[in-house]
Amino acid sequence: MLEITLFYIAATIALVATVLAMTRANAIHALIYLIVSLLAVAVIFFLIGAPFAAALEIVIYAGAIMVLFVFVIMMLNLGEEGDARERGLLHPKIWAGPALLSLMLFSELLYMISTVDGPVSSGVVTAKEVGLALFGPYVLAVEIASMLLLAGLVGSYHLGRRYLEREE
Amino acid sequence: MNMSEMTALMPILMLSLTAVVLMIQASIKRDQAVAWWITAAGLLLSLWGAGYARDFVQPVTVLLVVDDWGLFFTTLILMASLVTLILSKESFSPEGERKEEYYLLLVLSVLGAVILIQSSHMASLLLGMELMGVALYGMIAFPEKGELPLEAAIKYLVLSACASVMLLFGFALIYAATGDLTFAGIGAKAGEAYAREPVLLMAGSAMILAGLGFKLSVVPFHMWTPDVYQGAPTPVTGFLATVSKGAVFIALTRFFIEGQLYQYSSLIFALSAVAIASMLVGNWLALQQQNIKRLLAYSSIAHFGYLLLVLIALSMAIDADTNRLIGEAITYYLAAYIVTTLAAFTVVATLAGEDDSLSMIGAFDGLFWRNPLQASVLTVAMLSFAGIPLTAGFIGKFYLMTVAIQSQLWVLMGALVLGSAIAIYYYLRIIFAMSKIPPASIKLGSQGDINKGPRVEFGPQDLLAALLMLLVLLLGSWPQPFIAFAGSL
Repeated sequence: MLEITLFYIAATIALVATVLAMTRANAIHALIYLIVSLLAVAVIFFLIGAPFAAALEIVIYAGAIMVLFVFVIMMLNLGEEGDARERGLLHPKIWAGPALLSLMLFSELLYMISTVDGPVSSGVVTAKEVGLALFGPYVLAVEIASMLLLAGLVGSYHLGRRYLEREE
Repeated sequence: MNMSEMTALMPILMLSLTAVVLMIQASIKRDQAVAWWITAAGLLLSLWGAGYARDFVQPVTVLLVVDDWGLFFTTLILMASLVTLILSKESFSPEGERKEEYYLLLVLSVLGAVILIQSSHMASLLLGMELMGVALYGMIAFPEKGELPLEAAIKYLVLSACASVMLLFGFALIYAATGDLTFAGIGAKAGEAYAREPVLLMAGSAMILAGLGFKLSVVPFHMWTPDVYQGAPTPVTGFLATVSKGAVFIALTRFFIEGQLYQYSSLIFALSAVAIASMLVGNWLALQQQNIKRLLAYSSIAHFGYLLLVLIALSMAIDADTNRLIGEAITYYLAAYIVTTLAAFTVVATLAGEDDSLSMIGAFDGLFWRNPLQASVLTVAMLSFAGIPLTAGFIGKFYLMTVAIQSQLWVLMGALVLGSAIAIYYYLRIIFAMSKIPPASIKLGSQGDINKGPRVEFGPQDLLAALLMLLVLLLGSWPQPFIAFAGSL
């Protein structure tokens, strides 16, 4: 019962954050809501007994990829105008919404850690099991994924290079 | 994995090896001629691998299944890729030294298609489709000149992403209902799951069909097709129409049969609606097209509508005989479609190249007098698309009719007949344009124009076009050996 309630709270936060991310006009605001949405999904992973997937969700999606997005967008508005804009980003009106949603997720986590003894879900998938599956029956999928990354890399390199050369 | 399993994966291994060799070559010395030869050698080696693997048919891990049927289509798409490679040699020459990347993307895309054909698991289905798609975005946007390729690539990227999302959500729903990700496992557990969670299973299957339908560009998921066909470089359009669509259709067939989706009447009803809409809308919209690439795009929508009929017939199949007939029909129709499409795109690539104004139907006026060989090839291709006797398309249509009659799918057959009747009009329009006798004044003018001037030299593209035309005629006039071969798969 506890697990279900916690799941619904996290799922609601994920939905609300995603809808807000889609409806924001400013790209930075949208990205911050998207990060919250990914954090909420990580909590759901945690609840269903996949702490490794939850950690990856935070490290890779909310961490690496989203920060990359934010960096790129911030680098695009350099100069005086960009500075003024960035000062505007520190206004509470902008970070209050995402902060509130994150706080709810955080309190959910704190509640779980403080009250629940042992795992919340029925089974736990450890990092070792994930590794064994990936390099056991699914080893071909890992190899195919590496080729997929190569295709993405070469394609974006070709498309990006033409703009670099044009500027020179 | 043991040695025999590795041998069964020979075509995939050879393609991966080609990609690695191309990378190493590009890092030592960038030379597009060398890269072309490496790619050609790699595709030929993979063709050999596909033949060699036939002695080792077996499921390889849970992800892939190597069987005769899959290996035949692997061979077919490798040949289609070779045709694309030959056509690409002369295309977008301004890219110069950068064309190695194009060849690398081509090899990766073929690799994705082969994985898609041999997939027996949802993970490999998605990975294969993504690999094929991601490499294709790069190939479509490859030429630097003009905005059409970039526009086409963006459209394809965004809509493919939507399709992948749809597919993934469908996988999740089906996994929630059955607890299995392999096609066979889903088939085994679907009956029990349907009794318990009919909505989950139906919604999941419908989303998977929609996701694959995007890639096959069946109505109502067809919006991207004409723009992408027109914007992409012509060899890439040919590749998209044959390799990409063919591989996705094979994957859909495998999932449909092994996942036993044919037993759910609501799904069959939805599929019938999609098939009828594709046949009618595809042919109807093709009537208005002035650009031959857009026309071929709409015609391919209609052709995949025809092909869906075969999947629907599976639900009616009662005996083994009908099932064998359905298998033969898929193999024959898809092979005929791929060969005919390649013939048509070979002609368009040779005559129009990347010049959008030259791919207008008006630019083909009087082609019989300017370039009789290419005009004959295009005529045969159009007749085959329309399903005129003595061409491959006729036997293909004949198979579809037989399947429809045996399974008593009268409404679908009506749509097929009506669609084919509309189609004859626009296929013949191209042939009429080509057979117009050019007025003397225009003839003089066109001789001054380098692009439209009569071609005297006989290039490799002409040889390729002639070969493909012969293949279309051979499949149509002497089909028994191929039918016997298709029946044995």
